[in-house]
Amino acid sequence: MANGSDQAGLGIASQDCGIVQFDGWHDARARFEADLAPRLGGHLPKKVGETTYQHSKLVVRIAPRRFWLISDGLLPPIDIDPELGCMLQLGEGRVRLGLSGWKIKHVLERCVVVDWDSLQEGEGVLVGFHHVPVLLLRTGSFQCDLFVPRSFARSLVDWISDVSSGVR
Amino acid sequence: MKRLNKLGRIDRSQPVAFTFDGKAMTGFRGDSLASAMLANGVKIAGRSFKYHRPRGIYSAGPEEPNALVTLGTGGRREPNLPATTVELADGLVAESQNRWPSLKFDLQSINSWFSPFLAAGFYYKTFMGPTRRSWMFYEHFIRKAAGLGRAGEQPDPDRYEVRHLFADVAVVGAGPAGLAAALAAAEAGANVVLVEQDFMAGGYLLSETQDGEAGAWLAGMLVRLAGMANVSLMTRTSAFGTYDGNVLGLLERHGSRSADPKQGEARQTLGLLRAKSIVYCTGSIERPLTFANNDRPGVMLASAARIYLNRYGVLVGKRVLVAADNDSAYSAAFDLAAAGAQVTIADSRTQPAPQLLEQARRAGVAVRTKSTIAKAIGGQSVRAVLLVEPSGRVTLESDLVAVSGGWSPTVHLTSHLGSKPVYRQDIRAFVPGKVGAGQFVAGAVTGSFILGTVIDEGHRAGNEAFMFCDATRSSRARVQRDPPKTDAGPGVVGDENPGLREESPLSPPPEDARLSMQVSDGVGGKMTLAKGKAFVDLQMDVTVSDIALAHQEGYRSVEHLKRYTTLGMGTDQGKTSNFYALSAMAGLRGMAIPDVGTTTFRPPFTPVAVGALAGLSHGQHYKPFRRTPIHDWHVSNDAEMLETGLWMRPWFYHASGHDVNEAYVAEMRNAREAAGLMDISTLGKIAVQGPDAAEFLDRVYVNGFAKLPVGRARYGVMLRDDGIVFDDGTTTRVGDQHFFMTTSTARAADVMSRLEFLLDTAWPDLRVSVSSVSDEWAAMSVAGPKSRDILAAAFPDLDVSNDALPHMGLLEGRYRDKPLRIIRLSFSGERAYEIYTGASVGKEAWCRLMEAGTPFGLKPYGLEALGALRVEKGHVAGPEIDGRTTLDDLGLRRMAGKRSGFVGEVLGRREAFSDPERPRLVGLRCVEDGKRLRGGAILFRPSEPVQGHGLGRITSTTYSPTLDAWVGLGLLASSAAQEGAELIAHYPLKGEAVRARVVSPTFLDPKGEWFHG
Repeated sequence: MANGSDQAGLGIASQDCGIVQFDGWHDARARFEADLAPRLGGHLPKKVGETTYQHSKLVVRIAPRRFWLISDGLLPPIDIDPELGCMLQLGEGRVRLGLSGWKIKHVLERCVVVDWDSLQEGEGVLVGFHHVPVLLLRTGSFQCDLFVPRSFARSLVDWISDVSSGVR
Repeated sequence: MKRLNKLGRIDRSQPVAFTFDGKAMTGFRGDSLASAMLANGVKIAGRSFKYHRPRGIYSAGPEEPNALVTLGTGGRREPNLPATTVELADGLVAESQNRWPSLKFDLQSINSWFSPFLAAGFYYKTFMGPTRRSWMFYEHFIRKAAGLGRAGEQPDPDRYEVRHLFADVAVVGAGPAGLAAALAAAEAGANVVLVEQDFMAGGYLLSETQDGEAGAWLAGMLVRLAGMANVSLMTRTSAFGTYDGNVLGLLERHGSRSADPKQGEARQTLGLLRAKSIVYCTGSIERPLTFANNDRPGVMLASAARIYLNRYGVLVGKRVLVAADNDSAYSAAFDLAAAGAQVTIADSRTQPAPQLLEQARRAGVAVRTKSTIAKAIGGQSVRAVLLVEPSGRVTLESDLVAVSGGWSPTVHLTSHLGSKPVYRQDIRAFVPGKVGAGQFVAGAVTGSFILGTVIDEGHRAGNEAFMFCDATRSSRARVQRDPPKTDAGPGVVGDENPGLREESPLSPPPEDARLSMQVSDGVGGKMTLAKGKAFVDLQMDVTVSDIALAHQEGYRSVEHLKRYTTLGMGTDQGKTSNFYALSAMAGLRGMAIPDVGTTTFRPPFTPVAVGALAGLSHGQHYKPFRRTPIHDWHVSNDAEMLETGLWMRPWFYHASGHDVNEAYVAEMRNAREAAGLMDISTLGKIAVQGPDAAEFLDRVYVNGFAKLPVGRARYGVMLRDDGIVFDDGTTTRVGDQHFFMTTSTARAADVMSRLEFLLDTAWPDLRVSVSSVSDEWAAMSVAGPKSRDILAAAFPDLDVSNDALPHMGLLEGRYRDKPLRIIRLSFSGERAYEIYTGASVGKEAWCRLMEAGTPFGLKPYGLEALGALRVEKGHVAGPEIDGRTTLDDLGLRRMAGKRSGFVGEVLGRREAFSDPERPRLVGLRCVEDGKRLRGGAILFRPSEPVQGHGLGRITSTTYSPTLDAWVGLGLLASSAAQEGAELIAHYPLKGEAVRARVVSPTFLDPKGEWFHG
């Protein structure tokens, strides 16, 4: 996708991203996580919404038994023992919207129920963004990434741009 | 009334021009609209709701029942705003309400003459006959005769926003308690949001003179709080509701400083403040007194008269009668006298405190004890008052009656979550009951009226709130309140204010402290001392006699009283009337006040504009739109786009015809004769994975999937638990443990949610993962006799022959390094292929197909043509799967065969579903030349009268170019559903009646030869 609006105070950049989903079976959860963790390069996040960086890749526990591995580029498939869980490519369905600028806190507080001041850099949170399920990841003091369903992306960019225009 | 040259917190160097009822007036920066109106000599501010009696400004805050005005013009017109809460702004246009032709001369004040017929509940008794519909006739006239302001009819050009805010400690009310609480919590380390509805912080302290000790203390506190980075002071912000999880609803007014907010800047913001703990310092509201004509302009709360004097520099009367039954009104009397008014206090008590009487003597204020006001005399405004005293009746000339019947703590916010207020006999008022975890109360809302105590409570509550919200930092919370200092800041003391003594800032002051009070007896015996209307609820025109009438007629519960008399149901929510009403009812019932109880407190505490509730969610942002990966191609190729749910879909292409009717027929004809391309990316798509995936599908579909080979697709139908058809679609086995399910566009989210629900609750033992991949895949369908040729041309590397890709077969590959799936399916009845590719290359794939297909006559077709093609083929869709139909109704029973164990199977066997008269799916063909069938038409036998629900209805129709006839699908009673039978299709909306014949629902290619081979 092309870059979004870039107003003074808030820039919006849109890009494709790689997402691979891993799902473990209820009766093999511990073995699934023990098998998955080293293959993703380290520890898995413990709670839903928590994230870990693994060799420039982001791992998010998106549900109790479900993880997303996110990177900027295409991710190769990682085979999972079918007795432990399964893998699914999801990168085509989502767009990574990068927001940056001094307005970011003021814009986000008009969009999502997130306490920006409490959100640590590298921390992700699942939010309802103008009724759309979105993963928000804080990437800096004045930056965050939104992983949004592709079909909603343009509508959300319009929404964010309009919100931003009202922030003085 | 006159503006003084001194006193007040207004800036006399900054005049502010405004109009009231078209008359140009001038106030000053720092004025409220009410204070500016008073300064300009406005006595009548509005007309009453029912009787159209003249009303003046009664209070100085959000409790104002009388002075409701409409602000702005055109789309910015906003009615029913209390002038007492409006900050004066340059160019402000205010208009009085509910009067005609003018405020001073209102013809509808004639209503007052008919008041004996207009008592509480009069319309329940009077306007119910002679027929049941009579009310509909009367209502029009009643609505015209009574009411408040009118909303604007033009679109509001202003911007409104919604914000989500967070705080460790939220403090509601920036009076002395709130300021102390905020400081304590902030000094302990909490992030504090201090919310104040006024445009100035200070609360009660703003009614004190600015150059006094209270003023200095306030100024010092504001300086200290402003210097703290962890304190956010939100003035002009009303906390209108408390919600679960310590969430406060806030309404922030930005545009009130200017009548024309800057472009792009929000006029109001709805805030949802999530706090770890809340301190309520909401203060209290002075109670009025009831006496004859207690609503006349010139009657005002004593505290309001003092505020107008000390905050705004407006002396609201020259000959003032202060009618009171408590100490607090003496403060107003003393200040008014000091400003030059001739003041008399009529104190209904036998023996006021001697020091008060001594202070009054020194101030030149006459005090009449055991003196009760019985009546205000005057038409358009007060001229005199009638007092009842032991020696008899006394008439005093007066142009201002300042009344005080005690104080009611503002318990609304603390009660919103269901906590019942508790009655305190010692102060004869309700105070907050047990508040929720993390909630604290301080100040006058608790019934504390001593300034030193109020500040101490605020400080303590701030510390407790901090400790609650952050136990890890509780050791720091032992911060003590600042000791008295001699410099500016909290604890600043003076010799004149006994409530703030330096040596003992926390000790209770002497009895003459200005906030101390003795409360009234509530109802007392003052209600019938003189002839004339004595109002309880000024805004809703509810009188003492209305309450008596409600009691007499059996409406004795306060909840019934409220609804029968409309007491407390105005925009002020009865802030000045509720206590009197329930104490009156207690008196009438011979009960104690706490036994009568209170009505239920609900948000909002003060009105909230609908615009603020909507925020930006209107117009194009009313809901988010979903766009397919091919959206831009449709738009640039002149498609007429249509909202379907959240999706934007091409309805038809203008290149196909000048309107939809011409275009869709051309598009479906092209699909039948050559080939058409349809964007089907909106279909729901779900990945079903796991060792038990096939078993799972066997349970959710009525037909079996366990034996479906890899590389094959199957049409499936799901039922709800109750046996009603839920949705249909196809599922393709892409791997041994991996299925690719499609659902209808409309039901995509419902099906996904349903599958997750079943896995989480019914079959948690199944090792199955379901994931929505609707956005993952761009999807398009190429349909028509030339479809295979087009596919082969577009993807020359793939073998799409009938052998390699038979009907219901799957072919997988790569397109531009993205996954590609081609499934041979037909919804149109033609040979057709569904092409799925990665969403990021969806538009490219579409363009490639168009380019390859153009030599074969390929053209795009839209939603209208898609619906028409499926009707010709007899495929059911949303109009038939409408939440009421069963497998048998839709002719799908054969899919289930003799299977069992699937969802909906048991309840699908209910007797009612076997009723031979249940409607079943039929085809219908119009048999009249020049006429058409319409969806929704009701079906009747020709011999039967056209009335009632008929034998069934038409669900979908289309013109069939192949048959050159209008055809349709319908649901028709089985007894009438014999093929060949003729029916009348009646369409009442247009008064049409058309003859139609029952035929097979499969209009074309009944053997399915077109899509095979």
